[in-house]
Amino acid sequence: MSYRNIFISLLLLNYIHAQSVFNAYGLGLSKSGHYTATSGAGSIGLVPTFHPGVSLDNPATWPGLKFTYISGSYNSRSVGLDNKNDITYGNGLDKIQFVIPIQDRYAIGVSLKLVNNHNSYFKTDSSTFDFQGKNLITNKEFRSGGGLLAGSFGVSFPMNEKMGLGFSVDRLFGSSRDEHSLVLNDIHYRMFNIRTYSGTVMNLNFAGNFYNDNDLIVLAFARISMTGKPVSGTLYQFDLFEDRNDNYTYDPDDYPATVNVDTIEVSDIYAPNSFSFGLNAGFRNDLNIFGEFQIWSDEASSANYESIYTDQIGSKTHFGGGIVKFGNIGARAWQDKLTFRLGAFKESYGLKYSGKTINENGITMGIGFKFAVTGNQLDFSYRTGSRSINGDYKELVKGFNIGLSLGDVWFLRRREKQ
Amino acid sequence: MNFFLLKNRIIVFCLIGLITFFSCEEAAIPVKDDGIPMKLDTISFPVIKAMSYQVPPEMGRTDLLYFGNKDGYNFSYNLIKLDSSSVTAGTPFSFYNDSLIIVDSLKFSLRFDSDSIENNPEFQLRYFPDGGDSVFNELESNYINFDKSIASTFISTGQLESDTTDTNQTKVFLNFLLDSSIVNAFRDTNITDFNRSFLVELKNEESESFIFHSSDKVGADGPQLKVYYRQFVSDSVVLDTTFRTYAAIEDLSIIIPPPISTDDSSYLSVGTAMGLKSIVLVDMVDWILDPRAIISSAELIFNFALDDTLQNYTVISYPIINEGDFLQFSSFDKDPYDEDFNYYTSTSIVEDKLKINHRKIATEIGHQKYNNYGFKLEPSISNDPFRTMLFYSIDSPDYFPVMRVIYVLP
Repeated sequence: MSYRNIFISLLLLNYIHAQSVFNAYGLGLSKSGHYTATSGAGSIGLVPTFHPGVSLDNPATWPGLKFTYISGSYNSRSVGLDNKNDITYGNGLDKIQFVIPIQDRYAIGVSLKLVNNHNSYFKTDSSTFDFQGKNLITNKEFRSGGGLLAGSFGVSFPMNEKMGLGFSVDRLFGSSRDEHSLVLNDIHYRMFNIRTYSGTVMNLNFAGNFYNDNDLIVLAFARISMTGKPVSGTLYQFDLFEDRNDNYTYDPDDYPATVNVDTIEVSDIYAPNSFSFGLNAGFRNDLNIFGEFQIWSDEASSANYESIYTDQIGSKTHFGGGIVKFGNIGARAWQDKLTFRLGAFKESYGLKYSGKTINENGITMGIGFKFAVTGNQLDFSYRTGSRSINGDYKELVKGFNIGLSLGDVWFLRRREKQ
Repeated sequence: MNFFLLKNRIIVFCLIGLITFFSCEEAAIPVKDDGIPMKLDTISFPVIKAMSYQVPPEMGRTDLLYFGNKDGYNFSYNLIKLDSSSVTAGTPFSFYNDSLIIVDSLKFSLRFDSDSIENNPEFQLRYFPDGGDSVFNELESNYINFDKSIASTFISTGQLESDTTDTNQTKVFLNFLLDSSIVNAFRDTNITDFNRSFLVELKNEESESFIFHSSDKVGADGPQLKVYYRQFVSDSVVLDTTFRTYAAIEDLSIIIPPPISTDDSSYLSVGTAMGLKSIVLVDMVDWILDPRAIISSAELIFNFALDDTLQNYTVISYPIINEGDFLQFSSFDKDPYDEDFNYYTSTSIVEDKLKINHRKIATEIGHQKYNNYGFKLEPSISNDPFRTMLFYSIDSPDYFPVMRVIYVLP
């Protein structure tokens, strides 16, 4: 099948990600890794997980690719509560990427990836009270969706024989919407907000080989991400209305007769900066052990951009580690072509205004299978874990990812004919 | 690549995508109501002033026309105005100006509300040859402001007659046969839109009432005039007699109500034939509603004061646009309180309570955009006009009126 057909098919896959209450804080939870191989190891994309020496999420490692790759990653995720049977499911594309290595020294790549997950759908329990003889039954419902996407362009080049740099620019764009509703005696009172986003983030990636003998290779990786242009946006804020026919939109049957929309321009609403560091120890039997660390912060000066919760995520730290056993494409037995990944991570998100902390822990596992002479790879990953806020509210998260990378020969040195 | 093979692969991928999509369900995650927006709030406003008042009965939109006397009401006479064009054919009265048209006779009929005749008094008919283009206004004329003396002397008398043309139903009509000269007044060429009005009354005072269909009664036989004529095609050839029907477009019973009772003036009362209305003032001073809030309901609540099971009685309410006189019960020749029709509401009494939702105007008042002079209550035309409703007023310790507002804040 041609790349074109794969691409068309991937676009037709839907774009709904599992909701979480935490996605209603500001722009929601930021994604740490985007490709299935990365997710399988619980990595943030610094250390090699796709191919020995290569992470598709780290441009500095792209020259290690043997072929040009087009890849896509798709996830399906469930979020449930700790003590209840409420489980929500979602799925969607994480990333589409096209990377071209050039003569084992350089590489360029473009990608489209999801930066934040803003998808949430939650409600409160119904409560009943009496207002001077009138029985009022009420609860609240909230939904949000959409979010930030990044169109990314990256290049990589060598510093010397053992070190390389990768530079990428993420053009942030997208839109999100949320709906606030209060249900009073089965009548919905709804309010909608729609937001658009625009900004840029620049990333400098480093990869270096610091120790190399016959039994052990030690690689170090780092990334500095800085906001080029803080995300600005336009907020379209619709007035509250009574949705009499419960069709989710304002129409002439609803109350009041007219609904106004305020258009508010807001700048500097999201300005992420981060520093990430990772170490990978590779052993002779293709077994790799890695550890990663990341600190992330949102330096935006504008106050809450009308997210559902009147708080937003201001910082994040990530600790993670795992092992990766790469498969050998040249092996005869199919079992030897398999790549195995196992990882664990802990992430802590700090809320800007309340000071509360969202803690997330998870373990991940993944498997990859190489096929065809151009290094095509099919990856699967599974993660399970939990996230909670100050021990008060806890979600159980399970995710399944599938990634497909198709290789081809572009700009590579070809063997001369004998 | 084979075209069909390529096409099949794309279809397979699309199907995988669709199946994945539809296999996903979305369920809301339950959370605590803590730190999330949207708030329900309530507030109660007392009615601090309330008073009933009386105006001449406004019977113009009732379904029936009344003659005689009933329960102290005196139905003096009825005024009826005809359409300028005939039913179906649209023939104007000027049609009869043609010298080739000979009007033979006219018959003016009213449909009796009963299908049997027990007492058959004599009625008499007058018209208004000197009335110009307008004699009465269905919505404004009453026993105080209408001068009956402008009518002619009686031009015809009539009595109830059974019509058995329809074998399935006997209808009773009050028919007046008119001289063909009457049509001359209607076709008057000097007045473009002549009044085309009649006055119908009992010839003698009767102790009982006689009720007829009004033009406002849906699916009924309103008052009508039939004009019988012949048309000459040439000097020697004349067509057979035919007729045109002119239906009533306005009709009105002029009635004089009985004296006001103590209950009528001490409770908050509404009644069409008694001309009773009420005004109330809700104390909403200093109340400021959040600009982004929406009122779910602003119910002005009244408790029914009669020991009676009541259904389908409807009360209309509007804000008034001038100061109300709440000091004492008064009778007026003309309703002194103008309404703001933009905030009209119509509400039925349910379980002995009248709950009028005035959320539109309450929103304006809460936003400080409207002067709150109070609200008027008056009966709907759909009610029995002779039924007077009494509601407890502000002096009732348990059943006083109140406005309860429920609103949602973002």
